[in-house]
Amino acid sequence: MFKRSYFKLFIPAVMAVMMVACASSPSASPSPSAAPQDKSVTLLFNVQSPTIDPHSDVNYTAVRAGVSETLIKVNKDLKLEAWLADKWNSKDGQHWTFNIRSGVNFHSGKAVNAAAVKASLERALKLNPSVKNALHIRDIHADGQILTITTDKPFPEFVSELVHPNTAIIDTTVTGDLPSGTGPFKVTSFRAGSELNLDRNKQYWNGEVKLKHAKFMFNEDANARQLAFQAKTADIVYRPPLESLELLKADSTVKVDSLPSLRTHQLIYNMNNNDLKKTAVRKAFDNLINRDEIASGIMSGQGTPAQGPFLPDFPFSPEYITKKFDLNAAREGFKQAGYTVQNGKVAAPDGKPLQLTLLTYQSRAELPLISQLIQANAKELGITIDIRQVDNIDEYLAAHQDWDLATYSSITAPRGDASYFLNAAYMPEGALNYGRVHVPELTSMISQLNTTVNEEQRNKLALKAVTLIDQENLQSFLVHPNNVVAYRDYVHNWVTSQSEYYLLTQDLDVN
Amino acid sequence: MFKSMAKKFLELVLFFLILSFVSFCLLKLVPGDPVRSILRVDDVAVSNQQITDMRSQLGLDQPLPVQYGKWLVQLLQFDFGQSYLTHRPVFTEFMEKLPYTLLLTGGSLFIMLLIALPLGTMAALYRNRWIDSASRVFALIGSSIPSFWLGLLFIEWFAVKLRILPSMGEGTAFHLVLPSLTLGLAMAAVYVRMIRASLIESSGQDFIKAAQARGISPIRIFFRHMLRHSLVPLITVFSESIGSLLGGTVVIEVLFAYPGLGKWIVDAIAARDYPIIQGYTVFMAVFIVCINILVELSYRWVNPEIALKEKRLS
Repeated sequence: MFKRSYFKLFIPAVMAVMMVACASSPSASPSPSAAPQDKSVTLLFNVQSPTIDPHSDVNYTAVRAGVSETLIKVNKDLKLEAWLADKWNSKDGQHWTFNIRSGVNFHSGKAVNAAAVKASLERALKLNPSVKNALHIRDIHADGQILTITTDKPFPEFVSELVHPNTAIIDTTVTGDLPSGTGPFKVTSFRAGSELNLDRNKQYWNGEVKLKHAKFMFNEDANARQLAFQAKTADIVYRPPLESLELLKADSTVKVDSLPSLRTHQLIYNMNNNDLKKTAVRKAFDNLINRDEIASGIMSGQGTPAQGPFLPDFPFSPEYITKKFDLNAAREGFKQAGYTVQNGKVAAPDGKPLQLTLLTYQSRAELPLISQLIQANAKELGITIDIRQVDNIDEYLAAHQDWDLATYSSITAPRGDASYFLNAAYMPEGALNYGRVHVPELTSMISQLNTTVNEEQRNKLALKAVTLIDQENLQSFLVHPNNVVAYRDYVHNWVTSQSEYYLLTQDLDVN
Repeated sequence: MFKSMAKKFLELVLFFLILSFVSFCLLKLVPGDPVRSILRVDDVAVSNQQITDMRSQLGLDQPLPVQYGKWLVQLLQFDFGQSYLTHRPVFTEFMEKLPYTLLLTGGSLFIMLLIALPLGTMAALYRNRWIDSASRVFALIGSSIPSFWLGLLFIEWFAVKLRILPSMGEGTAFHLVLPSLTLGLAMAAVYVRMIRASLIESSGQDFIKAAQARGISPIRIFFRHMLRHSLVPLITVFSESIGSLLGGTVVIEVLFAYPGLGKWIVDAIAARDYPIIQGYTVFMAVFIVCINILVELSYRWVNPEIALKEKRLS
């Protein structure tokens, strides 16, 4: 009797709560594409944005979501193209004149003129030290639609730096957290780290915007993104998990786009290591890298073997001799470098077996696997590689010298220009020169590049520099991981941009 | 009364000073700083000299006591500083995230109580019967399943297959269901066995037997005596659960794209965004202290004997 009382008390209570919970089920996620007159699309991105301010957002959401635009953009061929500035010129690479496009308004309704652009750039310079460092602006002068900028030194790649989304032009007279840009979409609401809601900009300067609404959502978990796509919470999903690609491809209502990104996974050699500072040793070691296995096996086919730092279609990428995984060539290379090879095993000239420490990190899951593959191949030659995983690779490489090799990954030509990577990774003072590379000939080439204005000459110089990097094997470039995007078949005019700067565009449409 | 309050206040001030200084020191002892993140070395050509200049500009090259002193002076003016990366006030960002975390905490605790209280009670009352075995199995499975996997499973069932709940995001009460269920179930697995053990311990007490002998109704005995007596150890653990939930549940927040404090602080730690980390430490310390005070007060209500003992001692 005593116990029955409890049943009387609890069972109905629990059932009541369950019924209440189930009774009012929500309308399932609204179908992404509504009626034609009310076209909308939802894009699910893989990195969350804590802010929508284009001048400080490291995720560039305002530009990616078509809210704000820069003076210059890179097109699908990674060439510079006019955007808010329709013309520009400089004779000396230091004094620049831009003609700001007429007839463009901010979402606030205010006209875009040189003064508004000046105010926006000044705000970006004040707010974002990285923009300040990148642009080297000494002063800006505005007159009608003419904007004159002087850099603090001859800086020919200035124009390509203006492609950077953190230089996007916004109306600085608008206060509040939501930016007033010039893009095809206006922000209606933004929840940091969760979602951005957008409406069509009816007064867009560049013609009709096909979609009435758009939503830009964030989820950093690949499996959750995949499930959200399956649940039709999103119409376009950025970087679904690689293991789900076959499943997606099997679905006739899904389209999968996959193309090489501007990112390159690399193997950095520490030039302070007595063995690795020799070109012949680095070249021999390069033969131990099985790029095809990395691209097809470790990257599940979603990668392109890298021959150099940049994608082959860049004008500053030389015609490479395809690098092959070849243990015998590696042995031969070590022999020519003065190392002894006995029973297929390599030993240093003093008879000691080679022992190297390879650093890797977890935030790019394929890098530890690539490290293991290199370790296994090196073992075939009797070279011992000790793999060490570090938490923050940049911090570690910058502060320590107790390593010989390191896997690394970076976007090498984010704005279609070679100078960023060449300066950062090969100049003695470059912040990404973790291997302490110092090749005077290369330094002088890059210095010359930094003062050359003519684009053709710049490309020639960059090409020379990249050729030298290849000849000297200053780094081993492993693979260009692909950008993978899945979207529903009712989404039209989706373009997977290699720069990853432009996602929601005026042409994007749904059935 | 005033004296004891003043003493308590001084204790709290001292506690905050020690806590903030220790956390400040620990933070600076960790290798690396935010400069590389601020300057975006992975995206913009930066020289080592520029890194050094930036470090100096932020005062990161100054002695630790100087850095701490500056931060403390700012704090005394209720200025928690600005995030190095977003350039927004730390307090504003914290207040944006807090409601989401509070909602998630509340939702998870509600689910936990909904499951653990009846199941734990039944397991205690029907010891060694099927319901007790079922609760044991539930506790075992619930505490073994990784929460991220459970979350994915729920998304698969409720969002993909049944289409009755949103898979991610926030905005409505329905967005809260799956993350709360994921967290609540994992917690319930722990609490079921604790409630059971606590109730069994209470049911053997002399005052329960005396109440039964006096003919008091079972429901009254349960609520007025048994449950109340069992609550003391449970409240202690409960307060710890609230603390850890308020601290954020990163995995769940990432999985459901839920913009709470957990992801916010983890990102800040990864980027060495010192103002956010320090601000968060202070905020959470305040929260935990408040929760502990409430817990202490609740002990007196749950078990009047505690208050009586204190009275006798004073």
